[in-house]
Order: sequence, then structure tokens, then C-alpha cells
Amino acid sequence: MITEFITMNGYGLYVWLSFSIVLLACAIFYLKTKKTLRKYEKDFLVELQNLSVEEKNKALKTSKVAQQILAANSKMN
Amino acid sequence: MFKFFSSSSIYSLIHKLINFINSIFFLILIIGLTFALVLSPPDYIQGDSVRIMYVHVPAAWLGLACFAFITLLSIFNFIFKIKNFYFINKSLAPIGLLFTCLAIITGSLWGQPTWGTWWAWDARLTSMFVLMLFYAFYILTFKLLDKEERIVKVSSAIAIIGSINLPIIKYSVEWWTTLHQPASIKIAGSSSVHPAMLLPLLVMLLVFLLYGALIFLMKYKTEIIRIKKKNIKRI
Repeated sequence: MITEFITMNGYGLYVWLSFSIVLLACAIFYLKTKKTLRKYEKDFLVELQNLSVEEKNKALKTSKVAQQILAANSKMN
Repeated sequence: MFKFFSSSSIYSLIHKLINFINSIFFLILIIGLTFALVLSPPDYIQGDSVRIMYVHVPAAWLGLACFAFITLLSIFNFIFKIKNFYFINKSLAPIGLLFTCLAIITGSLWGQPTWGTWWAWDARLTSMFVLMLFYAFYILTFKLLDKEERIVKVSSAIAIIGSINLPIIKYSVEWWTTLHQPASIKIAGSSSVHPAMLLPLLVMLLVFLLYGALIFLMKYKTEIIRIKKKNIKRI
């Protein structure tokens, strides 16, 4: 039963290879995209920290995006 | 209304959508894989190799759909100069390229047991290969060119020229004698695929759609942060 499922009547190599390639490529692409997003979030926070206190407060007051990135980052930490 | 389209509202919405897709994705993926690999019956001619269809067809459909959408937005952007369309296209193109490459690779793996060859320069396969090249050129414009205005012009031109290839891909199996079979599922008209195979195909299409949406949202979110970072002192 299990052998039949794995060999798929001789087509197992093609079927499993197809599904594995798709899953692997999608997983790598997802992780790469996530890593880039995290990097940009971190870079944004560094830029924010480099601002003067006045500028930083102003940015956090007026920009919801800045607030959300800061909130998400503090949640992760 | 306009407040809804502000970057902060979009950013917040993207965040919620990503969380929502993340919460349901694995469940739908497992259902899709169970249907595709276990529950769906083998084909009476192709046997179990037909299971490759469940990854090959959604990848090909979405590869085509992404390019069609990119072309449409490129035309709108060219006319109305809506900056958001540029970012949407920039976020969408890598997903389209990934799906097109996967369609070609899985098609090749399906071709070997069914046609006896990994690759043939027939109309459908060649036109899909051309689509992949157009995607590659399109993405290269973002990497190689500096000025945004120039990128918009060049990338829009590539998308519009590349869109000529879309009907060629669709009708290649009817216009020419090809190894590739004609379309089994038609938007208008009856489908020749048995419901026992159609259901897994639709579930896998949903999986691919959700995955594509997830990647798109993450890339779009990255673009918003990139712009905000650029203009941080003007916030």
C-alpha cells in the first residue's frame, strides 16, 4: 500500500520531484521575501532612532506606518 | 474614501491580510495536497503522472494572470501616472516569474513520462519560455535602471509588448499542431475534467492564489517601508 503510494505505478519519481520542487522553491522564495521585509523594517527603525528626539516624536505622531513598525518590532523582541 | 487609500491604511490592511492568510494557509495546503496526492484518482491513460497537473496548471494559470494584470496596470500607469500601480507591478512580477518557471519545470517533468521527452520547441512550450524571458526583462529594468520615470517607461513598454504573447500562449494549441493537449477547462463552455479531478485542481489553485497573495502583500509592504524610510525626515 505504502510502496504503491510512493512508486505511483512507476510515475513516483516525476510526481514527487514536481511537488518537491514546487514546495521547496515556494518555501525559499517565502523565506527570502520575509527576510527582506524584516531587513527593511530594521533599517527603518535604525533611521528612526537616528532622528533627533523632536523629529522622532513628530514622525511617530504623524506616521501610523512608523507606529506599526515600532509596535511590531517591540512585539517580536 | 481617500483616507482608505492612504499608505498607513493600506499598511494596516496588509498587516491584517498577511495574518489572515498565514492562519489559514497550511490547513488549505494540507487539504490540497491530500486531494492531489491521495484522494484524486489516476487518469485512465496517463496513470498517476496526471497528479503533476495539480501543481503545473495553477502555476501556469497564475503566471499568465500576473502578466495580464501587470500589462493592464502598466497601461493605466502610463496614462494616469498612478504611482501605486508601479509598486503593485514591482511586487507582482517576481511572483509571476516564479509561477512561470514552476509551470515550465513541472511541465517538463510531466512531459517525460507522457510524451517521452523533457522538452520540445513546440508552440505552447516556446511561448511559455518567451513569457519567462519577458518576466526576466521586466524585473531587470527595476534592477538596472535608476530613474523611476525611466523604469516606468521601459517596464511598461516591455509589459505591453509581452502581452502580445499572452493570446499566443492561450491559442497556440489550437493554431498549431503541438505536443501539448488543448485546454480541458474553459471559462465559457463545459469542462472535460472529471469532478473528482476538478475539485483537487481548484483547491490547489486556491493554495497557489493564497501563496501568491501572501508574497505580493509582503513585497508591497516592503515597498511602503522603503518609501517611508526614504522620506523619514518629511514624515
